[in-house]
Amino acid sequence: MATYEEFIQQNEDRDGIRFTWNVWPSSRIEATRLVVPLVSLYQPLKERPDLPPIQYEPVLCTRNTCRAVLNPMCQVDYRAKLWVCNFCFQRNPFPPQYAAISEQHQPAELIPNFSTIEYTITRAQSMPPIFLLVVDTCLDEEELGALKDSLQTSLSLMPQNALVGLITFGRMVQIHELGTEGIYKCYVFKGTKDLSAKQIQEQLSIGRVNVPNPQQRQGAPQPHPPVHRFLQPVKQCDMALTDLLSELGRDPWPLGVGKRPLRSSGVALSLAVGLLEVTYPNTGARIMMFLGGPCSQGPGQVVNDELKQPIRSHHDIHKDNAKYMKKAIKHYEALAFRSATNGHAIDIYSCALDQTGLMEMKQCCNSTGGHMVMGDSFNSSLFKQTFQRVFSKDQKGDYKMAFNGTLEVKCSRELKISGAIGSCVSLNVKGPCVSDQEVGMGNTCQWKMCTFTPSTTMAIFFEVVSQQAAAVPAGGRGCVQLITNYQHSSGQRRIRVTTIARNWADPAVNLPHIAAGFDQEAAAVVMARLVVYRADHEDGPDVLRWLDRMLIRLCQKFGEYAKDDPNSFRLSENFSLYPQFMYHLRRSQFLQMFNNSPDETTFYRHMLMREDLTQSLIMIQPILYSYSFGGPPEPVLLDTSSIQPDRILLMDTFFQILIYHGETIAQWRALRYQDMPEYESFAQLLRAPVDDAQEILQSRFPVPRYIDTEHGGSQVFMPA
Amino acid sequence: FDQLWGQQMVDLMQTKHILSEYPEDPPEIRLGPNFADAPNCSPEIFRCTINKIPDTNTLLQKSRLPLGILIHPFKDLNYLPVIQCTTIVRCRACRTYINPFVYFVDGKRWKCNLCYRVNDLPEEFQYDPVSKSYGDPTRRPEIKSATIEFIAPSEYMLRPPQPAVYLFLLDVSQIARESGYLELVCGIIKEHLEQLPGDARTQIGFICYDAHIHYYVISDGLTRPQELTVLDIDDVFLPSPESLLVNVGEQRDMVRELLTQIPRRHSVPGSPASALGAALQAAYKLMSPTGGRITVFQTCLPNIGPGALQSREDPNARSSKEVAHLNPATDFYKRLALDCSGAQIAVDLFLLSSQYCDLATLSGMSKFSGGSVYHIPVFNASRPRQAAHLRNMFTRYLTRKIGFEAVMRVRCSRGITIHTFHGNFFVRSTDLLSLPNVSPDAGFGMQLTIEESLSDLQQVCFQAALLYTSSKGERRIRVHTMALPIATTLSDVLHAADQTCIVGLLSKMAVDRCVTASMSEAKEALINVAIDVLSAHKLSQNLPAGPASSSLMAPMSLRLLPMYLLALMKTKALRTGTSTRLDERVAAMCDLKCQPLALLLRTVYPDLYPIHTLEQHTHKDEVEEEEVNPDPPRLQLTSERINLNGAYLLDDGETMVIYVCNAVSPAFLSEIFGVAAFSQLPDEATTLPHLDNKSNALLHAFIDKLNDDRPYPSNLIILRDNSPTRTKFTERLIEDRVESAFSYYEFLQHVKSQVK
Ligand SMILES: [Zn+2]
Ligand SMILES: [Zn+2]
Repeated sequence: MATYEEFIQQNEDRDGIRFTWNVWPSSRIEATRLVVPLVSLYQPLKERPDLPPIQYEPVLCTRNTCRAVLNPMCQVDYRAKLWVCNFCFQRNPFPPQYAAISEQHQPAELIPNFSTIEYTITRAQSMPPIFLLVVDTCLDEEELGALKDSLQTSLSLMPQNALVGLITFGRMVQIHELGTEGIYKCYVFKGTKDLSAKQIQEQLSIGRVNVPNPQQRQGAPQPHPPVHRFLQPVKQCDMALTDLLSELGRDPWPLGVGKRPLRSSGVALSLAVGLLEVTYPNTGARIMMFLGGPCSQGPGQVVNDELKQPIRSHHDIHKDNAKYMKKAIKHYEALAFRSATNGHAIDIYSCALDQTGLMEMKQCCNSTGGHMVMGDSFNSSLFKQTFQRVFSKDQKGDYKMAFNGTLEVKCSRELKISGAIGSCVSLNVKGPCVSDQEVGMGNTCQWKMCTFTPSTTMAIFFEVVSQQAAAVPAGGRGCVQLITNYQHSSGQRRIRVTTIARNWADPAVNLPHIAAGFDQEAAAVVMARLVVYRADHEDGPDVLRWLDRMLIRLCQKFGEYAKDDPNSFRLSENFSLYPQFMYHLRRSQFLQMFNNSPDETTFYRHMLMREDLTQSLIMIQPILYSYSFGGPPEPVLLDTSSIQPDRILLMDTFFQILIYHGETIAQWRALRYQDMPEYESFAQLLRAPVDDAQEILQSRFPVPRYIDTEHGGSQVFMPA
Repeated sequence: FDQLWGQQMVDLMQTKHILSEYPEDPPEIRLGPNFADAPNCSPEIFRCTINKIPDTNTLLQKSRLPLGILIHPFKDLNYLPVIQCTTIVRCRACRTYINPFVYFVDGKRWKCNLCYRVNDLPEEFQYDPVSKSYGDPTRRPEIKSATIEFIAPSEYMLRPPQPAVYLFLLDVSQIARESGYLELVCGIIKEHLEQLPGDARTQIGFICYDAHIHYYVISDGLTRPQELTVLDIDDVFLPSPESLLVNVGEQRDMVRELLTQIPRRHSVPGSPASALGAALQAAYKLMSPTGGRITVFQTCLPNIGPGALQSREDPNARSSKEVAHLNPATDFYKRLALDCSGAQIAVDLFLLSSQYCDLATLSGMSKFSGGSVYHIPVFNASRPRQAAHLRNMFTRYLTRKIGFEAVMRVRCSRGITIHTFHGNFFVRSTDLLSLPNVSPDAGFGMQLTIEESLSDLQQVCFQAALLYTSSKGERRIRVHTMALPIATTLSDVLHAADQTCIVGLLSKMAVDRCVTASMSEAKEALINVAIDVLSAHKLSQNLPAGPASSSLMAPMSLRLLPMYLLALMKTKALRTGTSTRLDERVAAMCDLKCQPLALLLRTVYPDLYPIHTLEQHTHKDEVEEEEVNPDPPRLQLTSERINLNGAYLLDDGETMVIYVCNAVSPAFLSEIFGVAAFSQLPDEATTLPHLDNKSNALLHAFIDKLNDDRPYPSNLIILRDNSPTRTKFTERLIEDRVESAFSYYEFLQHVKSQVK
């Protein structure tokens, strides 16, 4: 048998899933004693270019309360053409079109390799994605110019059948009509007055765009997607939109001395949400908001327009001295909820030297799966490349973004679902497998993910409910099925189904067996999400204390030590890195506010709550590589001892890529040895970390800050 | 003897042909010996109801004449002396401008003719800018002309003179779209963009409104105009701090483009709602930093948002004896106008309605802001006559002179005060009228009181000073001064009466009376004027008392008064018994309140000319002998003067009606209209063909001549005497009896019976 390490890797590669425990404790009480809960980290859209295209619909268990999808773990009676549901044990007949199946002739979903499989529902109406650009115009010429360039570029990056719309805002909010002949036309709204969706509908006299009944278009040519004057197909309006964007000017209202621009982000976002809500409810769409400063008036205001009044700091919040915060949070949470309910995502691209209120707006991104990007300038490569990367494509040439998805989880009777933590909202669907005990977003077995990418990772928390170990048959396995129903970027409706099974074991009698299945990396990421979720919903040192307590309890449970001899303490190998992860986690920017603004904290946490395991681990514990003449780069400790005069260090904190040249290296570099043919090896040494950094920069989203520094340089280098 | 002193009388009962064939001058003003040759103000500009002011209030009361002045202060003039000087010479006490009627105590001092203070004469005044020499101050233009204009130095400015700013407010509701006016009006603006009065700073802007407000941005950064629509009409705001008003010179092409786009954008079926009130609030916000002119085109009842109105007209009551709803339904438009006035903005209203629009309420926007009201009822651009009418009216409006941020002060000799003003303005203080805009077509009236005895005076003077900013950004003062002698006897007063001016003033007073009291009271008051004045005359002449006499004597100076009063009561404004739309009535009332006298009189008592005998009434033009100058006599407005073999032209200023009788000669028909028979004339034609013959040319020449003296050419309607719409002509024969109104003879009989 393969090692657990290999097993875990295999499962991740195939199913995009990792569990904190790979052998499941068979009783409720014993499970709680394991300290780290039973959690899966699941990437619903993990790239699987090898998956066969399945053009039919999944076969479902006929039991109404179950409706699990036929999968390789089901027992099949080929003669009787029956299958037994592995969740509820219902015997189900195969549908008529399966009449020809046999042991030799199995449908894909029964082949063990296809524990993850993806169906394309051809019956469903195909809808192109919708992009609604919401653009701040309170920017200086250079910033606006750079942003406009990026937006122009994005028009060519979008799917050409995508619908696109434009809202601009400054002191007021403008909803632009596209392709109006002879004139630019927009509707202007006061930035201080919120409008309900109903008011938008009435005032703009627009209604829900009726999606044609798919039954009626059989054989007929594909009708044009339903559109209206504010949202039009890119290929139809890109000329008009290009003109409009190129002539888009800065917010024209004069700025008083000592004043911030009056910026109506709150109303602009509300109008964007409302516009989509009344026109394309429950259709994949993303609002892309470009923000150059804080909302300074109207609903969603986070600061006033007096420059002498700075935006709230962690200190202000702690002292309950953030005047606008609570009201603003309420405004944006309500928008986030409405948007998520309709399946629409909200991206916020915030580029400013000061905070823009991401902390107040965070739910808009967190609940809808939208991106939150934080940069200094729209003219930075960080923003430009990050924004282009939103439209990146996979190996098959498909956009990596999926829309309007729901994730449904089913599990064996011994388990119940206690919640999820990730970029989603609860759909409040109760069922027999929903636990009373709530962790994260609970009380449901379904969550909405308005948009997600291959790296999007959900943490799903399970509760073992068997009262006693005896209830679980020896050698029996527990199953979990994850069903993701989403709108593919091509417009197709697709369903991805992942079904996995794990062995049960009784910790009371077989703890080592369970301990061997511990995935410390998954555990670290889960604990990080849990603690950040708690920190977001609570406050203060209690969170850190809780984290410490959990670590101590885990060590007590799984460590080996002689009483009263601290030096005797041992942890087995698959636990050994865990305390270090926790050490870094509690010192990380996720939990320490010092030197960070509330917006920064928000941004960091936002990324932690969505990224996959590998990236999350980098965030928790940065990676440090040392480059020397002595050989290939090697990982070194996050410690000042790693700083050596003749070394180059490459540090990856996920948010930053930092190259540090030791004292000697820096001197040589200053003397330009690298340009001399006889020092070719020095040139190579200099180049090596840069090349490695480039590789990371190429693939990461958002593009990290890239810093090149050296001994005595202005950038403070703090490995730990 | 009487003739010599200008004191003839006439027996109205016996004199059928009381209207002289050619217009008469107002009674001559004869000042005392010191000023016998002094130039007085033109009666077309400044005019008093009595050309000799009664020396006491008692005498005035005895005469029963109304005392007042009419003024047409910004009239287009062929000749106007303009002076630029460092000091404008004014009385130190009462601020009167030096004028032809001051008394020079010596070469260094002058005595004010209004307050009699002696003032020093500045050195500069000795210099005659015309002859460029020093010497006699009476050679100065200020002394040689009763109307003069100064270019004001900076102390006459509260702020730098404003640029010419024009904002057009265009109704684009469904009814507006149906009326087709938008294309027409935008076209006319486009054609005359170059002719808008102004200089390099001139700005223009447009706002359209239906249920929402549509603003238009033109800016250097944009290659096409931008329409900004604001949906919220209950909380009006400007969607942009700039570029909603743009420089005409710099953005001419884009403005043209916008004027092409506006009708196109609003051509499809639109909203039935019209948020005029909100649009006006928006316009005020937009204009208040600079001031300027707002031109509103409204086609329906504003029915949504602030200032929304409900229909008040009962179509069944259009011919009833009393007229309701002449007062505004809300003071919204008045309040807005007062705000505008305070910000130097005038609001002009073009009401192109096809339904009741409550002009009684809407007119407030113009009345109190110094604007004007124009009304074309049941307008549709597809009707050529209405389209032409609007074109003529609007073209004149766009291209005529305009004065901005104006005030007019009227000063009177000590002892006389003004108690009531008529016209469109806001009275800022007792003698100061605020006129955000002043137009060459606006007239004003003032009622006077004699508060002290004037018997020790030689003459009474009135001076109107209009301070305004020209469209070129110059601050200017136009000063008109009129001097009148004093009358000490009743007979003198009566014989110096200016009957035309009296009708002008009475019409304004009657309109006010309709609004404050009632239509019947207003009319009774008018009848009483005739009775009282003629009674006063009887008294003055010691004629036998009582109605026994068969005669009704009137001084020559007042012989037309009863006829004019009767005509006034038969105008659209004051008539009862004939179906009259409320808005048309109110529009007619607005006209009476602010038309200059010549136009007003023609509205009240149109000119009627025979045109079948035009050749008999021509004289050779003095310069070019070939040309002939048709000058037919006027006829009284009675069917007795209409012959079956004749053709007539009735000119009420707005419309010229050519009325062709059935027995007119075939030669006339063929020469004038190019038809062989009477029956070939259409029921109603609106153009007169140009034919190559003398008669036709003469008639055209005559019509052109008539059109010459008015702001814009009148409409033309040609009717047969059996056309279905012939009442357009016959109802104007006011001396005839109509259903519920006196004939002239009946009216005289009634007056005679009442004269004591
Ligand atoms: Zn089942
Ligand atoms: Zn004086």
